[in-house]
Amino acid sequence: MKNLKEDYFNPFFSHIYVEKSVRNHARTQNILAKFPSAQIIEIGHYKDVFCRSRQNIRLQHCAQKLILAARQGTLLYEGAPVCQRFGNEHFYYVSCAMNCIFDCAYCYLKGMYPSANIVVFVNLEDIFAEVERVLENHPLYLCVSYDTDLLALEPLIGFVQEWCAFAAKHAQLTIEIRTKCANKAFVQSIVPMPNVIYAYTISPQAVIDAFEHHTASLSDRLFCAAALMRAGCPVRLCFDPMIYLPGWKTHYSEMMNQVYRSIAVDQLLDVSIGTFRISQDYLKNMRKQAKDSAVIWFPFQKEDGYCHYPAPLMEEMESFLTAQIAEKIDREKIFRWNV
Amino acid sequence: MVYLFTALYCEAQIFIRQFNLTKNLENIWFQEFYNETSNLRLTITGVGELAAAAAVSSTCSMHRPTPSDLLLNVGMCAHTAKKDGIFLCNQIIELATGKTFYPDLLYRHPFRESAIVTGMLPWNAGQDSGRFGVQAPFAADLLPSNTQTDERMIAAGALAGMLYDMEAAAIYQAGIHFFAPHQMIFLKVVSDNGNAAEVSKEQVTSLMQNYQDCIIDYLMQTAAITKEHSDHNNEMNEKDKQIVETFCTDLHCSKAMRDSMRQYIRYMALSGMDYIGMIRELYEKNLLPCKDKKEGKQRFEEFKRRLF
Repeated sequence: MKNLKEDYFNPFFSHIYVEKSVRNHARTQNILAKFPSAQIIEIGHYKDVFCRSRQNIRLQHCAQKLILAARQGTLLYEGAPVCQRFGNEHFYYVSCAMNCIFDCAYCYLKGMYPSANIVVFVNLEDIFAEVERVLENHPLYLCVSYDTDLLALEPLIGFVQEWCAFAAKHAQLTIEIRTKCANKAFVQSIVPMPNVIYAYTISPQAVIDAFEHHTASLSDRLFCAAALMRAGCPVRLCFDPMIYLPGWKTHYSEMMNQVYRSIAVDQLLDVSIGTFRISQDYLKNMRKQAKDSAVIWFPFQKEDGYCHYPAPLMEEMESFLTAQIAEKIDREKIFRWNV
Repeated sequence: MVYLFTALYCEAQIFIRQFNLTKNLENIWFQEFYNETSNLRLTITGVGELAAAAAVSSTCSMHRPTPSDLLLNVGMCAHTAKKDGIFLCNQIIELATGKTFYPDLLYRHPFRESAIVTGMLPWNAGQDSGRFGVQAPFAADLLPSNTQTDERMIAAGALAGMLYDMEAAAIYQAGIHFFAPHQMIFLKVVSDNGNAAEVSKEQVTSLMQNYQDCIIDYLMQTAAITKEHSDHNNEMNEKDKQIVETFCTDLHCSKAMRDSMRQYIRYMALSGMDYIGMIRELYEKNLLPCKDKKEGKQRFEEFKRRLF
């Protein structure tokens, strides 16, 4: 650390905080084995580290730490009103990890959590048991990669494989794995299952470059989506959130052209379209942390505790993309948030 | 500014000399030394948790640290096993309460890391051996009986090689009111194995001198990094502020419209749009000033539409 041009941040997961209660858990041991140089710090409860006051999320993203803990209390959550339910009656999501290795400037996680450190709940067996309990009453549509990007963490924690194995035993369960990563090794080894949906968030490369830091490029995401489709997996493309930037029509048109060149769109399970919207409280927290981020300082319209683009702009953006996609895919496969 | 806290004068000497610190005679409560050019302010807290908390609170209330500042606590400590070395604290356990605090360790450093226990009394291995046994970890046994079992376990588990001092936990707790967890650094030099009474002032000075270079190098680097990352001044310059204010006045903006306008202007500035040019253009076309509120509202809507 002789001058500021060098990389002065600690490496990714240089420190791993481990709840005493899960120190000997098999998944903890597996994860720790992948970080032999990490400094291991035992803690009582993950919130002792995760919920400290005055944490700087922006800086923490440059040197993220890992926290291994046991999930207690509520294990399954009902889907939020701003989330697309794709026509599923019993829409839930699960939080087996909190926070993401990616650093999207507009991500609601930055407003929802007090820290940028990643918490992984290693007691997946408890979550599985809860899912089985719910499945006794009704089928379940479960998003397992909402408060994180599970596929991006897969080389480290292997939870996607575990969810797939679990889903294979429960036909009434449909899981969605949403991602912005291009984990080609995982894609090549995939065993397709009808009740495991791979959902790729698709953005114009200009949006990725400007706001979706460290995520896969558009072409890599499309490559993986296409490979999964060829393997027979249900694939969903999420044009959600659509992000406003000057010249957005050109950027989104170019993106769609690239999608059509890369993917047999008519074979997609479905697509979702939605402009950026966020809870007013989360936005307030995000603005405190990132005073120079254009994407979150947009003059949003407030409505029922949520902020979104002004109604005419929102309508124009979503209609524009819907009209383009509708030329290639059945209307009933297009799910728009704002209708 | 770096706010440096040491318990003793002999721990502070290396900084006073290196940075040519001057005594602040206006501070009649604590010994305080500073150098505005070096951006360093050093307070000698005195020994113990209460003294340390009072000193941090007093100094920070007077000087009001900002997000670009750092708190550095440097001093001697005991170690349960080692006889020397310098450590960066990654976990601070307060013996009296069992509470644990975690400074954020964002930056690379050349030190070994360790947990530290802060107690009200000096750890005296000789005297305490009767109570806890020579080999026994001390913190878990010393925790109050009402302390949570988990906390006792953590303390016990972490003690196989742990530091012991009398200020760190208090400095963290007082400091967190003024600093974020990544702005607080705790560096401890091992002076003894539980026989603090036998350590002389000269030995302390000598130990500090041994580590002077690495401490000061780390201090300077971390201060520069913290400053670099907090230098995001997005405020408009005075001239542009005046233009926007005149613009709002000439639009006959209400309070709500003015607030809304500020939001739009902020977004435009962050997006790199030439909003000043757009405003000037309206004046050049004689569309401003507006004759009344109604016209102002219409012009404001037109201005917003130009954005999208």
